[in-house]
Amino acid sequence: MTDDLMLSGCLRNNAAAQEALYTRFSPRMLGVCYRFAKNREDAEDMLQEGFIKVFSQIHQYRNEGAFEGWIRRIVVHTCINILKKNKKFSDSVDITNAHSIHVREEMIPSIMQAKQVVECIRSLPLGYKTVLNLYAIEGYTHKEIAFMLDIEESTSRSQYTRAKSMLEEILIRKKIIQKSKKKTNFFGAVSPG
Amino acid sequence: MENEFYTAEFEELIKDKADQFRMYPTKRVWHSIYNNLHPSRRWPSVFMSLFLITSLMLIGYLNTGNNTVNRQINNLAYNETYNQTGNVKTINTKKQNAAYTKTKQLYGKNYDNAFEDVITNKTDLYNYTIVKSNKPNYFNLVNGVAGTKTNADIIAVENNSHDKELIQLMDAYIKSNQILTDVAVNNKKNSINNLKRTAKNTNADELIDDNSLEDLNATATNKAASSKPVTNKTGIDKLNEVDKEVTSKISAVKIGLTNEEKDWIENFALENTSLKNKWKSRFAVSFYVTPAVNYRKLSTESKGSATPFANADINSVVNQKPGLGIETGLGLSYTVAKSLIVKAGFQFNYTKYNIKADQINHPILTAIVLNDPSTGNSYPAARISTVSNSFNSTPIRPVTLHNTTYQISIPIGFAYKLSSQKNADWFAGASVQPTYVFDGKAHLISSDLKSYVSDRSTINSWNLNFGFETYMNFKLGTYDLQVGPQVRYQVNSTYRKNVALIEKPYAFGLKFGLTKAF
Repeated sequence: MTDDLMLSGCLRNNAAAQEALYTRFSPRMLGVCYRFAKNREDAEDMLQEGFIKVFSQIHQYRNEGAFEGWIRRIVVHTCINILKKNKKFSDSVDITNAHSIHVREEMIPSIMQAKQVVECIRSLPLGYKTVLNLYAIEGYTHKEIAFMLDIEESTSRSQYTRAKSMLEEILIRKKIIQKSKKKTNFFGAVSPG
Repeated sequence: MENEFYTAEFEELIKDKADQFRMYPTKRVWHSIYNNLHPSRRWPSVFMSLFLITSLMLIGYLNTGNNTVNRQINNLAYNETYNQTGNVKTINTKKQNAAYTKTKQLYGKNYDNAFEDVITNKTDLYNYTIVKSNKPNYFNLVNGVAGTKTNADIIAVENNSHDKELIQLMDAYIKSNQILTDVAVNNKKNSINNLKRTAKNTNADELIDDNSLEDLNATATNKAASSKPVTNKTGIDKLNEVDKEVTSKISAVKIGLTNEEKDWIENFALENTSLKNKWKSRFAVSFYVTPAVNYRKLSTESKGSATPFANADINSVVNQKPGLGIETGLGLSYTVAKSLIVKAGFQFNYTKYNIKADQINHPILTAIVLNDPSTGNSYPAARISTVSNSFNSTPIRPVTLHNTTYQISIPIGFAYKLSSQKNADWFAGASVQPTYVFDGKAHLISSDLKSYVSDRSTINSWNLNFGFETYMNFKLGTYDLQVGPQVRYQVNSTYRKNVALIEKPYAFGLKFGLTKAF
């Protein structure tokens, strides 16, 4: 079923078209939800609420940009709204001497798989992983993130910096990436390793 | 600059990997979305449920409705009259009168005179037709639990004329719907048996002939006048004489009835035979356990440009062994006809299947074949595996994988009696079993047939099974024991529709069941 056919069917509230749309996009969208959620069950709840919004607001889709991108934005916003109901995003941990690790593509072994990276992201504290998800993966700006999460823009930046640093350490600890000989902090001071 | 470059590269890598990540939601999610989007489509199932519930309630009401009056009388009088050991309790006069009034209203003038006469004039209830159906109760009361009453007890009850009349009266209330000539014959036999038991318990020599009913009836009128109880005889002698006297008087009364009255009594009794027992006796509850050996048949369903599964017969390239499972549950059966029983129940199933494989030290990238539901085309989906297929090779680190499922099902079916002997019946039956799989493990062969991928999410939550069985039913007192072979076949694949690998398990088991009628 083509996107146009699916879209027109969904606009008519056709169950078969809705199911086809759901079947096509739900695996990727559940992957998105899973990165924000505490566990799979929560992720499925987010997905469910997100798709209900997608189907109920589908008449608002203007054929501008990718359809998947439009769905994804709704799903992400749904995830954020659910998280906001349960938790404040001012969570942070104090990381001193946060070191950045130079990562080159060839450093990442072939064994590195999407699921492992996602699990590492999920192991971050809630505030960190939310900002990291929104900024690094979903492509929102810090200004947009600050608006979405009701936090200061500077908070979003610092959370992201710390989140990235922590993620790198986790990836190294789990031997998913290797430690570079060159070591630097995120603020530009390069030091020999 | 260098730092910014590396940071951007790191972010890009993280984004790429995160974007590649996919998860397959359970069916529950789509069902919830669907129900939310189309609430009106839930109504058919709601209506169907209401219809079924209403039908069941109606059937129950129709089966039990006519007996309400009798139950009321029984509850009112009987519970107040006897306790569990059969001893006489004090009779509540108010309730007795209430029962009498109710009985009068319900059963009409034929009983009116009898009750009126007994209560007001203290006359002997034996003079009335109603007694003939209550005689067994009377004797049961006198005898109490077999062998526990002494002659002195019996004489004490016999000599207390007031108690005797009250007992007789309440018996009349309790069993007043059972006045039927045929029933009376059975009752007569019962009373004689009671007397025989009592006589045996007390080593009395005098027994009453089983076939004496006709003789007693024939000579009833002549004996009625002369057979009064003799006070200096033993309790057993007295009981025998009372029995003869009652039988005689019954016959006399029976002769005295008009045809119209006989018809009325017989029709009344016919329409008021114990329907409660009729439907109740058709129900039975059973518990069963079925150890079963589980087998499976693999096949594939793939199309499109992807060329998964190099070998045609996938069963020939996997090292698989059957496993031992179990099915156990509770069932409710209803005897529809002499040879036909319908059944429904609640069953727990555990299925297991074993796969011989080779554990490897490091994870490898492999793929399973999935089908795109929208296009139907197959495509390989990347997965991690740490177990390789050991078929046609000697495993270095042999390991046994267990494909298991934990299921709950609702078997609905029937059993047909093929033959019947004195204490054993032979049945054959079938059932359809809607099944919910609530847990399990799934190890799927990879598309190149070289590895096994563990993926619990590929298991289909809902399935349908068919069961076929034949068994012998042995009567063991109040219980029935069933033993027989059973085959269970799963209609749909263990895996979801989007998995190109199709697994259809079947199991051979030996069923042991224990059934008790209500």
